[in-house]
Parts: sequence; C-alpha cells; structure tokens
Amino acid sequence: MTDTPNNGTTTASATGAPRGFMRRAGVVIRTMWARGTGRFALIVLGAWILVSLVSLVWTPHSIWQTNGYHVWARPSADHWLGTDGTGADVFSWLMAGSRTNLLIVVLTVLFAAAFGLLLVAMLVSRHTALAHGSVVAIDALISIPTVLIALMLAVPLGASVTVIVLACGFGYGLNLARVARPSAMLAARSMYVESARANGASAPRVFFTHIVPNIMPVLIVQCSLSAGTAVLAEAGLTYLGVGVPSGVPSWGHSLSTSVRFINIYPLTVLWPGLIVTIAVVALNLFGDALREAADPLTNPRLRGADGRRHQ
Amino acid sequence: MASQQGAHGTDGATDNNTNAHDAQQPNAANTGTNPTGTGGDAMSTDASLAAKTKKNGGWKNHGPWIGLVIVIAIIAAIIIGVRVSNAHMDAKDEANASATAKTVTIGLKLAPTNLDIRNTAGSSLDQILIGNVYEGLVARNSKNEVVPAIAKSWDVSDDGLTYTFHLNKDMTFSNGDALTAEDVVWSLDELIHKQYHDADMLKNVETVGASGDDTVVLTLSKPYSELLWALTGRAGLVFDKDATYVAKTQAVGSGPYTVESFTPNDSIVLKENTKYWGAKPKTPTIVIKYYADDNAAVNALKSGAVQVLAPITAQLAEPFEKDPAKYVVEAGEGTDKYVLGMNNAKGHPTADKKVRQAIRYAIDHDELVAARGGADKTLGGPIPSLDPGYEDLTKLYPHDADKAKALLKEAGYTKEHPLKLTLTYPNTYGSEIGDQLRSQLKEVNIDVNVNVVEFSTWLQDVYTDKDYDLSLVDHNESHDFTQWSNPDYYYGYDNKDVQQLTGEALSATSDEERDEKLAKAARIVSEDAAADWLLNYRVTTAMDKGVEGFPLNMNQTYLPLWDVTYTPAK
Repeated sequence: MTDTPNNGTTTASATGAPRGFMRRAGVVIRTMWARGTGRFALIVLGAWILVSLVSLVWTPHSIWQTNGYHVWARPSADHWLGTDGTGADVFSWLMAGSRTNLLIVVLTVLFAAAFGLLLVAMLVSRHTALAHGSVVAIDALISIPTVLIALMLAVPLGASVTVIVLACGFGYGLNLARVARPSAMLAARSMYVESARANGASAPRVFFTHIVPNIMPVLIVQCSLSAGTAVLAEAGLTYLGVGVPSGVPSWGHSLSTSVRFINIYPLTVLWPGLIVTIAVVALNLFGDALREAADPLTNPRLRGADGRRHQ
Repeated sequence: MASQQGAHGTDGATDNNTNAHDAQQPNAANTGTNPTGTGGDAMSTDASLAAKTKKNGGWKNHGPWIGLVIVIAIIAAIIIGVRVSNAHMDAKDEANASATAKTVTIGLKLAPTNLDIRNTAGSSLDQILIGNVYEGLVARNSKNEVVPAIAKSWDVSDDGLTYTFHLNKDMTFSNGDALTAEDVVWSLDELIHKQYHDADMLKNVETVGASGDDTVVLTLSKPYSELLWALTGRAGLVFDKDATYVAKTQAVGSGPYTVESFTPNDSIVLKENTKYWGAKPKTPTIVIKYYADDNAAVNALKSGAVQVLAPITAQLAEPFEKDPAKYVVEAGEGTDKYVLGMNNAKGHPTADKKVRQAIRYAIDHDELVAARGGADKTLGGPIPSLDPGYEDLTKLYPHDADKAKALLKEAGYTKEHPLKLTLTYPNTYGSEIGDQLRSQLKEVNIDVNVNVVEFSTWLQDVYTDKDYDLSLVDHNESHDFTQWSNPDYYYGYDNKDVQQLTGEALSATSDEERDEKLAKAARIVSEDAAADWLLNYRVTTAMDKGVEGFPLNMNQTYLPLWDVTYTPAK
C-alpha cells in the first residue's frame, strides 16, 4: 500500500499550506499548458471568463437595441456577426450570453459535486442499511432523464436558471456518486482508514482526509463532463422553453431564436452552435488534462515540486 | 387563438437525452475495469489508476479516427437517403406531368386531433371540413360576406325576427341520402339542444321549422344581426339525420369532397364526392399534410412533396419569392388581431388612461410589421378590414415618443421613477416580438419585464385569473367585437357607451345600421386605448407556380378547395 494522503498538512504551518498549494497549482497549470489539448482548453476557458467579465461593462451594441428595419442582417463592420430577428446585434448577445452560461456551469458543477459527495458519503457509510439503500435509490433515480426533471421543476419555478442548475446538478450528482463509488469503497476498506478509525478519527474527518483525495481523479473528470453537459443542457432546455427565460442572454437563447430560420439564415445558427461546441470540447479536454496534471501518480513534476509527498 | 409549434419540443428532448447518455457511458466503461467487491483491498490504488490511464491513452490514439469514420459514414448515409427519396419524388411527379394533376398535396400547420366537428374545438377543423366535406345553410366568400350554399336564397322579415331559407333542389349526402329541409331542421335542433360547439351563436333562435321539402323557417326571440354570418360557420352545418358513422374518424356530409383517410396529426386525404349535387370539384384527390415544424414544411415545398404551403412566415418564404419562375408567394387578408392587452381593471398601473395612451404612442407599429417581413398590416382598432364596422383608425395614435413621455410624466412616472410592467404572453409567438416591445417601451422609460409562458399558463393567469399588466395574444376570430362589451372579459374594459352601441348593433335589422354602430363603438374603444392593436396578421401562402384557385384570404379558418388545380411545369 502506497500513498498515505499526508496527515502532515494538518500540522504544517498556517503560511506553508497556501504557499504549497499555490506552487502545486502553478505546476499543474504549466503541465497542462505543455500539452496541446490542455493548452487549447486553458485558452478557451480563459477567453470565456475574460469575455464574460468584459460583457458586464461593454458590448459592441446594447443587447436591447432593436431595429425592425434591419433584421437578419449579414455580418458587417457595424454588426460583426450580423443581426437577429429583432435587429439586435448577434455578437453582443453571444458575449452577454457567455456570462449566463459561465454562471450556469459553475453553479451546476458546484451543486453536482456537493450532492455527489453527499451521496458518496452515504454509499461508504458504515451503516450498511444506509449504504445499501442508497445504492438502490441512486440506481433507481439515475433512470430519470434530466430533461424530465427539468420539465417537472419548471411547473412550479417557471423557466429559470434555477431549473437548469437543480435538474442538471441532481442528475450529474447521481452520476458522479455512482461512478465514484468503486474508488471510494476501495479507500473505505483500506488499512489506513481502519487505522485512522482506530485512532479515533471521526467519520467526516475520515471521509474528507482519506476518501475524497482518493476519488479526486474521478471527481475531476466527472465535474468536467458535467460542466460540458450543462452547456448542452442549457441550450436544449432553453429550446424547450424551460431553461433560461426570455430576455436573459444565453447561447441557448441565441440558438433557439435562430434555429427556425436555419434554411434561410444559416449563419445566425452557426455562431452560437460553434461556440457551444468549442466550449463543450474545451471543458471535456480541460477535465482530462487536469486529471492527468493534478494527479501525482501521472505527473512526476508534481512529485518533485512537493517535497513532502513521495511514492 | 392560434396555438402552434407543438412538436418542436420533442426534437430537443431526444437530443438532450442522448447527450446525458453519452456523458454516462465512458465512465461506466472505465469503472467496469475496477472489481468493486471482494479483493478490493488486495489491489493497489496505484495499479488500478495506472490501468485506467493506460486504457484512456489507448482510446485517445484511436478515438478521433473511429469518430471521423463514423461521422463520414453517417453523412454518406444521409446523402444517399435524400438522393433516393428525391429521385422517388421526381419519378412520381413525372408520371403526373400531363395537363392538370389528379392529385394536389397541400401543406398546413395545425392538425386536428379528430374529425368530430360538432364537439371538438379548434380552427383546424373548420379549415378543412367546412365547405369541403360539410356544407352550411349559407357560406362565406373570400371577403367574409355571406353567400348561398345549401340555401339558394333567403328572406328576412322587416322586424328581423323571421328568417326564411329556400333550399336548392335534389341535394344528396355523400352516402346517397337525400338532403331535405328535415335534415336542416334536425341539425340545428340537435346543435341547440345538445349544445354542440358554437351553439351559443344561435341563442336567440326560438324555433326551427320546415315547410315542405325545401323551405326552412327560423324565428328569433329578438333581432340578431350576426345570425346569417353565424350560420356560415359550425352553427349552420347540415348533417344527415339517418346516417350512422364514427364522427371522430369519419365524415358524412353534402360537400364536394369526402374524407378518404385521416391520420391524426399527420394527414387527411380528400376524395371527390361522386354523388355531389353541385359542380364537380376540379381536382379529384386532395392530400393535406400537416407540418408542425416550419423547416420541415419549407423542405416539403422545395422538394415537391407539397404544392402549396399555408401558412409560411414571410421570412421563410423569401427563397421562394426570389424564384418567381417556379413559385408564387402571396399574402391574404385575415382577421387575426395581435392584441396587446392592457389590464383596465382598478389596481393596475394600466387602469390609468394616460398610461395606456402613452403605451400606444410609444409603440412603432410600422417597425413591428417590418421586422416580421412586411406582409402584415398595421391595425388601429379592434375591427379588422374583413369584419363589419371596419374603419382605418391607425391615425389615432401615431408613433410619438415625446408625447408618450409627456403623458407618462402627467401620470407620475419619470426616468428616475420609471413605470414597471410585466408582459405575459404565450410562447407560440416567439421571443422576438416581446424583445421589440421591451426595447420600444424602454425608450419612453417604461421597464417591461417579458414573461413568455406556455399557452395553458397564459390561459390560467391572464385569461381566467386576469392577473397581468400587459398581455399579447392573437385574437384570430372573426366578428368578435362583442368581447369589448363584456366587462368580465380579461381586458377588464367597462364602458357603458360601448356596451350600449354593441347591443344596438347586434339587434340592428339592417347591415348598414349594424356596421355604423360597430364602427362607432370600435372608435371609442380605440380612443380609450383599451388595448393596443399591434398588427393585423396576414397569412402568407407559398405555392408552386402551377397551382390555381387556392384561397388566400382567411385560409387558416376557411379553406374551400373545390376550385384548386395544379398544372405541373414541363
């Protein structure tokens, strides 16, 4: 048995821990940057965040500026990606939409991770009734499609970002728990957990210091997949009318308002479609790259950078 | 009210589903390599992680290629499929290419769920059955005027209480039964006693009697100037007293066509009624196809699967318009009124007439029409041009942002304290029109929160509970001015003069008197700014150049097809 997740951190000095973390993060990002896919993901996600921030203070045109005499215009110097069915600037809408999508992705992933970890904690619980019960419950609940959950939530909540976050977070959390269960079980039955328990460590402490680090690689991949799927879900649910409400800019909104005219104005569908595709690919590659770069088992540079951690 | 675009949803749903599954699968595969049960302890974490990395790496090397091959294969399959089906259609077209075609296929949008016209609501039934399969005592022409049908003529007594209809001779139903005054009386009596759909339109009718085989007499409790027009619709349809058939899937009428087959939400095949008493229809077989999806409809016309498409939005019709050698695109008059309802009831900001007037001044109707492709017309009041009492009222509230701001200031709203309103409307009208209204009203410092909802939600919140500030809906009914004289209607508009004038118009004994009173009442409603009439929607029809005789006016509620012919191009 190797790699006892270091209990050392808990005794490290208060200033040492963050500095160590920063150094490790630097190594991880450099490692990701060194690979083509990782660099692509980092560039796209960086640009996404940047554009979201910029859109808060500036877009080429106000997204509320409509012009009925200038609808579905082709790209021009004034309107870089043309105008939509109300004569509003497509580029501005996509810029403004990026912040909504970013918010949805972050909230969905946070909710999915929190919910998923809670389920994992139940799955590895030493109360066998709870552990077995939750296996059955997760298997049963996972069969409910996310879209169906969203449609049902939309009845009381109406079309809103909350619907997307709750529905997707719930679905992806279940998924995460089911996928993470084997690694979590492996860790839960290990000798170090046994010894920690013998030393009187509480259940939450055992969970967070021993089990969570062990499922981290799975967790990262799952979260990045969830993030990618959340972007797709936003587009799909908004198209169905239960996602982002009318008037809130989002990529799904831009897609769904232009898709009716795909035969005549294909470009207005292409732009949001392209952005969604690139974002989803980037998120998935990001998860892959992060898992490989952040895991000391696959990234030797990380082992070198962190003196206290060794095979 | 039109409700459209039902089937969009399903597409998106499936897409999403597959995505969720795709996301699940790779992980399931990964974890499958980890024995979960016993022996977990014995296996080192290292080894299992290493195994996983290896597995992932392996896939990565082949992944893109396999993906690419699959994508190419799918695209190839689609192209072959399209080729084959197009070739199939071309072959079919060529076979028919001699003079006028025996079959015309028409693409429509809203499909009926069944054929029971006496019990099922929805204009799609009126559209396809009235004038084709069933006939009324009287009918309407393309100008929405009453013309003879089963009755060849009629007399109205001077007091407006007795209507005498003289029927055509030797009429038969499609099953061979004779159509006599007895059938007419039975049909109207059934409608009134069993309260079939639209029975309330005959609520003033006291007795329905026959004298001989070809005269029908209706007596009224009080004059009702709308009676004849009401009889052109469902209220006046004549059914066979002795026929037995399943009304939901079959139809026995006296019209030029019979229903050969009916597939709910998909298609209806109409075949010439060989026993028809009147002139033979010009095309023996008419196939109606329903396309809920606009893009599918456009593709159907492009590929020749249909020869006519109605309705089509002006924007989607553009490519057809640019090809006048092959297609004809025309807009017909209609009675669809896009009404921006304002809650006139006390307790709402829009109860203040100044606010309502400001909203009317703030809206640039020409721009709304232009954004929709320019086929529609502006409308200044509650009565469209095809209905009695029409008068051009568009000059009453011309677009004037300064006047709107001044009125709002008088009402106590400024830039610092803007008026906040919520606009609730069904999602069938698309988000564009709401976005435009918000943008236009923003210019006069009205903050509009646009709430696009399901049609059922609109019905509950706005129509039934009257819980709204602004509402938008397409009132497509003809002759529906009476809604303004009903203070309990969702507008909450209560004006005694309007109610008085409407009452007088309904009990008028001459059309001139009726039209004059209605016009007067409509002007008051418009001056009061009880609502804003955004536009008069005109149905755009796109068809193959060889099609003739297809009705353009009001063809979403009334579509007689006996005159339609199609001559394929050589």
